[in-house]
Amino acid sequence: MQKRKVMAIIMATAMSVMCLAGCGGREGSTAPAAEAPAAEAPAAEAPAAEAPAAGGFEADATIGVSLPWLGTQNWKEAETMFTEQLEAKGFKPLVQAADNKVPQQQQQIESMIENGAKVIVVGPIDGTQLGSVLEKAKDAGVSVIGYDRLIENTDGVDGVVQFGSVRTGVMQGQALLDGLKANKGDGPYNVELFGGGPADPNAPNFFKGAMEVLQPEIDAGNIVIVSGQTDFTQCATEDWDNSKAQKRMDSLLAGNYSDKEIDGVLSPNDGIGRAIITACEDAGQPNPVVTGLDAENESVEWVWQGKQYCTVAKPTQDLVAKTIEIIESLQKGKGMPATSVTTNNGKIDVPIYELDPVVVTKDNAKEVFSDDPDRMALLK
Amino acid sequence: MMKAIKQVLGDNLRQYTMVLALVVLMLVFNVISGGRMMTSSNFQNLLSGNAYVLILALGMLMVIVIGQIDLSVGSVAGFSGMVMALVAKNLNVPWYVAVLIALAIGALVGAWNGFFLAKLGIPGFITTLGSMMMFRGGVIWISQSISVPAPEELRFFGAGYMPEWGPKFTGMNNSTLLLGLIGIAVFIFFESRKYKRSAALSAEKTPLWPVVARIILVSVIIGYFTWLFGSGREGTSFPIPGLILLILVIIYHTITERTRFGRHVYAVGGNKSAAALSGVNVSRTYFLTMMNMSMLAAVAGILFVGRSTAAGPSDGNSWEMDAIASVFIGGASVSGGVGTIRATMVGGMVMAVLNNGLMLMGVGADKTQVIKGLVLLLAVAFDVYNKKAGKESFIDKLLGGNKKEEK
Repeated sequence: MQKRKVMAIIMATAMSVMCLAGCGGREGSTAPAAEAPAAEAPAAEAPAAEAPAAGGFEADATIGVSLPWLGTQNWKEAETMFTEQLEAKGFKPLVQAADNKVPQQQQQIESMIENGAKVIVVGPIDGTQLGSVLEKAKDAGVSVIGYDRLIENTDGVDGVVQFGSVRTGVMQGQALLDGLKANKGDGPYNVELFGGGPADPNAPNFFKGAMEVLQPEIDAGNIVIVSGQTDFTQCATEDWDNSKAQKRMDSLLAGNYSDKEIDGVLSPNDGIGRAIITACEDAGQPNPVVTGLDAENESVEWVWQGKQYCTVAKPTQDLVAKTIEIIESLQKGKGMPATSVTTNNGKIDVPIYELDPVVVTKDNAKEVFSDDPDRMALLK
Repeated sequence: MMKAIKQVLGDNLRQYTMVLALVVLMLVFNVISGGRMMTSSNFQNLLSGNAYVLILALGMLMVIVIGQIDLSVGSVAGFSGMVMALVAKNLNVPWYVAVLIALAIGALVGAWNGFFLAKLGIPGFITTLGSMMMFRGGVIWISQSISVPAPEELRFFGAGYMPEWGPKFTGMNNSTLLLGLIGIAVFIFFESRKYKRSAALSAEKTPLWPVVARIILVSVIIGYFTWLFGSGREGTSFPIPGLILLILVIIYHTITERTRFGRHVYAVGGNKSAAALSGVNVSRTYFLTMMNMSMLAAVAGILFVGRSTAAGPSDGNSWEMDAIASVFIGGASVSGGVGTIRATMVGGMVMAVLNNGLMLMGVGADKTQVIKGLVLLLAVAFDVYNKKAGKESFIDKLLGGNKKEEK
């Protein structure tokens, strides 16, 4: 009796081992199959004769686009434009946004690799936190293009398309100065400074660029930073959160401007700019000269009404067009287009494709948006 | 039929509802995504990408069982990860020292939470709400909101694989194969020991076939996953974060089911006064459970930083919510005293598979969030409905079984 039980258990063990061996055996035949897509794809393209050079891919390949979130207008626009324009070029777009959560974005990029994307365009939430995921993409032979923000701390990125971020800052600083001279008479001017979200590698660069213009004026006494807060870390706005900027402005006004008027505020983007203007209104201050960025609809209206002095347009269509140009070059097997600008991201020198932004004031708004019917409609 | 199934799977079939849901989810997504779900690389991603939530859920289960909640785990994970990255970068210490410091911080924060809960009697919700704010602010403060690159070695823990060795003819990663074989061997050992004991105890003959059926079933499942994880691209295997999770699951399963401390946790959660009257040190149990939770949060933070290659100022944002959701989907009771490690892991996997499958289908984060919310609500509502006295469980109904309820 006892013997039979022992036998049965031995049998069970043997069976399960056999099963496992069976799986192993099956695997022998599936392993090549699993590798096949990788090996097959180039093989299938070469005879297709459409691909002129080695390293290109099918004209209807899947293209992944991973955006940080859709909470601001420029990202929502990017989502729509990528979907429409990639489809128009015959690609299969896979456009996803990650709700500003880094783990979500990591997993999204992984699932794009799983979906066989040939190129993945990444607008990172945090440019330093995608290292191991992008290396996975690199191992899978996927080209990675950074969109709008630098991707740091990894060798898994092939190039970055963005507006020159220091250049953008210089323009914001210059616009603030021009606006002060135009609207507030002669100096010295009372000014406060705001920076963007510190996790975004662009934010310190905007600030740096603006300070290149403003620092000499501060040193010369033409501009007075009444609060004394001139470090980026003091001026930064966590997560680009408008409400945090408004709270900071409220307390700056309450603490420093009870007996003074504020003349101008450097704002890194439109949302923060509007928050600043609202805070000034609430405090009963006359409207200061406020800069912006992104040409959001509401700010375009405010610029037109004269409430916000200027915004800087980084036309999303330019960024998307440049990105798609690179994707097409990769598709034809021509590799990444040549560029003279590179930036060290901590691991490698990344080719940068820089575009120039445009300052928009009430004077040139109609001109800048002449081929943008949606925004033209706001200039009434 | 019903009787046969019960003999194989045990009497309480209700615990398999979520397992069934998980299997159905995997199969449905696999079909919809055109076979992209059940692939080696996708499952490796699934584990590497969700190990941190599942590790948090281990500690959270115990916290919820004692009838408390810990809102600070995300902040603590982010804070300890950031301290680790900063220490390694600025003080030039080896990576393992930085890891130990991070774990020590986890323990300290846990002791802080535990002190307020256990000694001062402040509810865990409030204590940890305070810690959540403190350490969210803390991580931004110490990092000045700038991401800090982490030591290279940590990538092994957050995104690494087990080594390749031995003969090639197995056609898969031999470390994974070994792990699978060990898993099957251990299961057979426990099953046969259990059978021998019950056979020795009962006078009448206990049938052997359910044991054999059970062994075959589990072996096939383990075998399949061994193959799935092991047969990927050369150099990949069952991922290291998954291995760490597996070890922790075994440890915490043993702690909650087999040790005195584990029984105290359930006793305190079930009825605090009764537990105290029967000699359980309630405040000690509270203290240790909270301390353990924060240490696991530090582990989760370290793994995530390893995978991300850098510690960021927003790390850990709302992770506690994912962990809490996993525990409740796993059938834990809001009022405490009920819940198991196994079920929590199944709950966590349901969320992970759902997330992963929707991403493979190209569904956006917004809609994914909506669906996850609905699943959480439905899972808990379903559980509550089933627990109403006398109701037969869904599976019982499905299989036309008897009306007897366990527990």
